[in-house]
Amino acid sequence: MPPVDQTAPPSGSGRRNLILAAGAAVLVVAAIVVASLVFRGGDDEATETTGTGTTPGEIGALFEGIPQDRAVLGSPDATVTMIQFEDLQCPVCKRYQEEGLPGIVEEYVQPGKVKLRFAGLAFIGPDSEKALLHVIAAGAQGKLWQYADELYANQGAENSGWVTDALLKRVAGDLGLDFAKLQKDADSKAVLDQANAMATEASERQVPGTPWFYVQIGDGEPYEVRPSSFAVEEFRQILDDALAG
Amino acid sequence: MSDRALRFGVGAVALVGAAVAGYLTYVHYQPESLICTGGGGCETVQESSYAELFGIPVALLGLLAYLAVLGLVIWDSELARTLAAAIALGGLAFAGYLVALQALVIDAWCVWCLVNDLIVVPTLAVLTVWRAARAAPAAT
Repeated sequence: MPPVDQTAPPSGSGRRNLILAAGAAVLVVAAIVVASLVFRGGDDEATETTGTGTTPGEIGALFEGIPQDRAVLGSPDATVTMIQFEDLQCPVCKRYQEEGLPGIVEEYVQPGKVKLRFAGLAFIGPDSEKALLHVIAAGAQGKLWQYADELYANQGAENSGWVTDALLKRVAGDLGLDFAKLQKDADSKAVLDQANAMATEASERQVPGTPWFYVQIGDGEPYEVRPSSFAVEEFRQILDDALAG
Repeated sequence: MSDRALRFGVGAVALVGAAVAGYLTYVHYQPESLICTGGGGCETVQESSYAELFGIPVALLGLLAYLAVLGLVIWDSELARTLAAAIALGGLAFAGYLVALQALVIDAWCVWCLVNDLIVVPTLAVLTVWRAARAAPAAT
């Protein structure tokens, strides 16, 4: 039997079939792409998130009357704490802020059962860091949660430079904050130390993404919780279990 | 290069592609935004409305395509080689579309998507076309 020639030139029919198959595949892909673009109907809400934000005061109402101590929102007497690692540029965090947080605040934080601790993890880029420093600085004026909420409401495309001084000033104004003090605090070593402490905690806990949640009962060791969605029912089960001890 | 080496190469690249697409499919179905190597961008790309085609995650389509190529490598007839090349070339066209979307529309880069679109898919296309373009071993 003669040796098999593995490098022989392609046969005419084989090459023709290959060209036909390749052309058909590319045409099918092109048709799918065109059809998907047509049926999308120009729905870009998930990517073009630079908006006008929510009506000033609308978000603030959610936190009205709830004690705030820097990064902690809720009654100091609450025995259960939920820790939230967030990046203010992260679109999924924005979704949690809109879909999950309001229900949790109304059901658990306002009645004084649970307190929430904001933990910033600025991993996406420079806008994340700038936003985080200003959010922490807003904590010195008792409005960290409102400030973060307003920034989420105005969130822009990642690292597009959306965290402008104008935006930071407008949000501060909407919330009645002293912007000069906010800026001074945001540039201070104390705020930087707090941001670094949050980053260190995230690193020690090996937080793999945002938003990421932990629950702490009393002074116990926080444990990781993984809601499968941001529906309040998911958090209800987690927080009710923690409250039951 | 021998046909055996090419066949092994196609299988290996398809496996790598399946791993990347599998990771991106996993990320897509997570409620959280996982930290991607090389910085942000994954979150925006995965959250964008372009991350799905008719409700099916693009990453899952990629995973199915890689698994199909793996199946065709195992089958290994002349028709299977042609089909594998066709899938890889279709994937290459689609990868070009996805890169254009990231650059021009979404305005964010997903590192793992780029690894897939710019390295794995083109490599697979070259190898499968190379293999399919060679004559089938002569039957004597």
